[in-house]
Amino acid sequence: MKFFSQSFLYDDPWPIVSLAYFLRYPNPYAAHVISCDVISRTQTSSGTLVTTRLILKRGNLPRWFPQGMVSRAESWVIEESEVDPFGKVVNCRTRNLDHVKIMRVEESVQFHQNPEGKTLQHTEARIFSGFGWGLTKKIENHGLTRFKANLQRSREGVSLMLSLIRQSRLQPM
Amino acid sequence: MAQSLSAECTPLKVEYDSCFNAWFEGYLEPAVAAASSPDARTAYSKRKADEYDQKCGPVWEKYKACVQKAVKDKGLDVLLQQAREEHPLTEPPPLPPPSASAHSSAKTA
Repeated sequence: MKFFSQSFLYDDPWPIVSLAYFLRYPNPYAAHVISCDVISRTQTSSGTLVTTRLILKRGNLPRWFPQGMVSRAESWVIEESEVDPFGKVVNCRTRNLDHVKIMRVEESVQFHQNPEGKTLQHTEARIFSGFGWGLTKKIENHGLTRFKANLQRSREGVSLMLSLIRQSRLQPM
Repeated sequence: MAQSLSAECTPLKVEYDSCFNAWFEGYLEPAVAAASSPDARTAYSKRKADEYDQKCGPVWEKYKACVQKAVKDKGLDVLLQQAREEHPLTEPPPLPPPSASAHSSAKTA
């Protein structure tokens, strides 16, 4: 298992960062996202919003990966989030549904407002492979490298959405 | 907004997403008074839920039915069910070891 965590501070307040995060697909930094659907959404008795999304992502297999093991390099991903507008917190958990024997990636992201009115993003990832054949470590390392690169791109995507939202709010209606 | 997993659901998805996004923008910024007491919170949440049902409810029902059918047709319902049973998403992840909670870190266990 590989564990990774990273924190990042956005200068913008929590409501706009959270909106940008939910609106992040599609964006030019997420060309690998083929589809994204809400499959359930409920407002809880405490006023939070719980959403489940089903996302199809296109993946690339590394060159050293054994041929013919995977018929298509696409992966279904489930994302469950809870938004608390009073506590100003978004919790979001994501993981892949298929190819799990080869590699399972579990990501959890939290956005919360700090006392200065900025937004802290905390991301954690756990990467597991049960592949064997002497490739487990290599697969997990590859997964971690990819995860870090994707996280960077994902943040660029959110930042782009943030600037678009800021611009649209400056325009008179 | 990205495509739906089924092309025939995409128009409903686009319509639903734009309705939801407009509602969500307001939902994210409750008036300060709405958080002043548990009762005010409940009343505010109820009002937002009603507003959502009224504005986005009809298109949500249509979109949901379309996606649910597509999920079944593609056999994804089985995959979803299995995933939920094996690793329920509701369960919080175990806390990372204290040494890993630094600003940015990676480790092997």
